[in-house]
Amino acid sequence: MSTERPSMTDQELWRSLAMGGKAASDTVSDHDLAAWLEGRLAPAEAARVDAVLAANPEQRAAVLELSEILAIPLPAAPARLAVRAQALVGFEAERESASRSGGLLAFLFVPSLFAAGRRQALRAAAMATAGAIVAVSGFLMGGGLGDSYAHQKQITVVSSTDTPSELTYLFSDGNLI
Amino acid sequence: MSELNDIDLRGLTAGNKRAWDQFVAAAAPLINAVVRRALSPYRLVEDDVMDAAQDVFVRLCASDFRLLKNYDSSRAGISTWLAVVARSAAIDHMRRRRQVADSLDDVPEAALAVEDRHSEKLKIPQGLLTDRQTLMLRLLYDEDRDVTEVAQLLKIDTQTVRSTHHKALLRLREHFRIDST
Repeated sequence: MSTERPSMTDQELWRSLAMGGKAASDTVSDHDLAAWLEGRLAPAEAARVDAVLAANPEQRAAVLELSEILAIPLPAAPARLAVRAQALVGFEAERESASRSGGLLAFLFVPSLFAAGRRQALRAAAMATAGAIVAVSGFLMGGGLGDSYAHQKQITVVSSTDTPSELTYLFSDGNLI
Repeated sequence: MSELNDIDLRGLTAGNKRAWDQFVAAAAPLINAVVRRALSPYRLVEDDVMDAAQDVFVRLCASDFRLLKNYDSSRAGISTWLAVVARSAAIDHMRRRRQVADSLDDVPEAALAVEDRHSEKLKIPQGLLTDRQTLMLRLLYDEDRDVTEVAQLLKIDTQTVRSTHHKALLRLREHFRIDST
């Protein structure tokens, strides 16, 4: 009986082996995987991720790809990707956000939400409010809606009976020439 | 990718259109690269790749920006987190697509591979190797990566990779009584 031990290269040895015991079917959360990629997990958590990756070829492929991509300068994306993605969020999102935070007054602040900073936003909102106050005050001082409508109607009546002077020669005796 | 760190995430998740547009402009190259790489085995046409990339952004703003609101900057940088999310989304997009029309030609060969169960392999007993050792051997031999790539992935130096590799193989050889050639 031979007592000689078989010999193999490192690679041959590995390929001849199969992992025993429970296959790690756990998945790793996005946060944990990201932290693992950055080397920020605590040792115990890192070991758990190591085990999952060791047992799961798909997850291993994922981290290898991501590690390579994150290490290199990236080419620009096609323009239409950004255009389509930006269109996913419209001004409706801001109005909804404004209405959630409180009614008409919040809606008046909608234009300010386009501003870059909070200070600019407050300044724009204050100006919008001041403008609204001036407009309302001026309207009321001018007599309000009733007077305005009566004045409008008077102008309309006068203009409908007046015949423009340049057209009078066409109506010498009330009939069209 | 440093532009992503400058995005006002709080304003974005509150519905600020400008912040969202800036975020998209900063994130598009990364998401584009990740999605393309993840889906490269499937040999999709350009429009389908674009749809998958768009799907990532849809997920990010869905349910009132739920994903972005749950992002925790204390755990990982936003670029890394976004890359992980984008890859998951791309794979999910592909799986949903395959449920609709499952053509054999669309499936990469690796997914079709069947493990050869006829060859008897020696089972590595649990606990013989640490998880880190096992992962390292998988990366070196199953994924065919070199020492430098493994070191970069695991955020360790190459000497540590060589040392861990050597110790792991010593343990295996001792256990299975197999000599080196």
